[in-house]
Amino acid sequence: MPHLSQRMAEAYKNVPKLNSQTLANSKYYKGGFEPKMTRREASLILDISPTASKVKVKQQFKKIMAVNHPDKGGSPYIAAKINEAKDLLEK
Amino acid sequence: MAKHLVQIIIMGTQVVVKAFARALRQEIAASQAAAHKTGGGARGTQHVAANYKTGISLEEALQILNVERVDQVDAIERNYKYLMEVNDRSKGGSFYIQSKIVRAKERIDEELKTMKTPPPNSNSKQQNASKQL
Repeated sequence: MPHLSQRMAEAYKNVPKLNSQTLANSKYYKGGFEPKMTRREASLILDISPTASKVKVKQQFKKIMAVNHPDKGGSPYIAAKINEAKDLLEK
Repeated sequence: MAKHLVQIIIMGTQVVVKAFARALRQEIAASQAAAHKTGGGARGTQHVAANYKTGISLEEALQILNVERVDQVDAIERNYKYLMEVNDRSKGGSFYIQSKIVRAKERIDEELKTMKTPPPNSNSKQQNASKQL
């Protein structure tokens, strides 16, 4: 118990601070990619409605993949996520 | 009748307490394993805390920005700028992908910050040691 006040002070110090940077970034979606892709995430990645037609999915996939292709300096991890999203929505 | 009722209540409580204790033990073991995986000690704890705070693991952040280590500062900055630009919403990019790039950069910045400041626990230990000397 004597360490309680010390612990409280430490915990208070570790509370995430509201600085200008976190406020500026607060409009972005939180966290990383979901451990297992859902329809919701797939549609967010391709920026289309979860009920979009297969033609629309293919069209949007081509557009998003073109700019994120690893051959053009894109990240292979993001490209893999885009592929996964297309596969899930095309099912 | 009342005797049996009391017996049943006692047995029921025992089962619940045992199950709770087992769940607690498993939870502690899991969190220790997670801390151990990241190198253990104060550094490992800090690593897990940062993962939790930003909601993204350092490994994933590095993968998103297509680099291998946090000290590739130039490559991180270059890839971040490039990926943010090509995925910009005004050019028809996906806002969700852009968000993940921002969070990956945030996570790496967090790691660089903790690398500069030594973990608080070992620091206080050193202070104690110097006091004893």
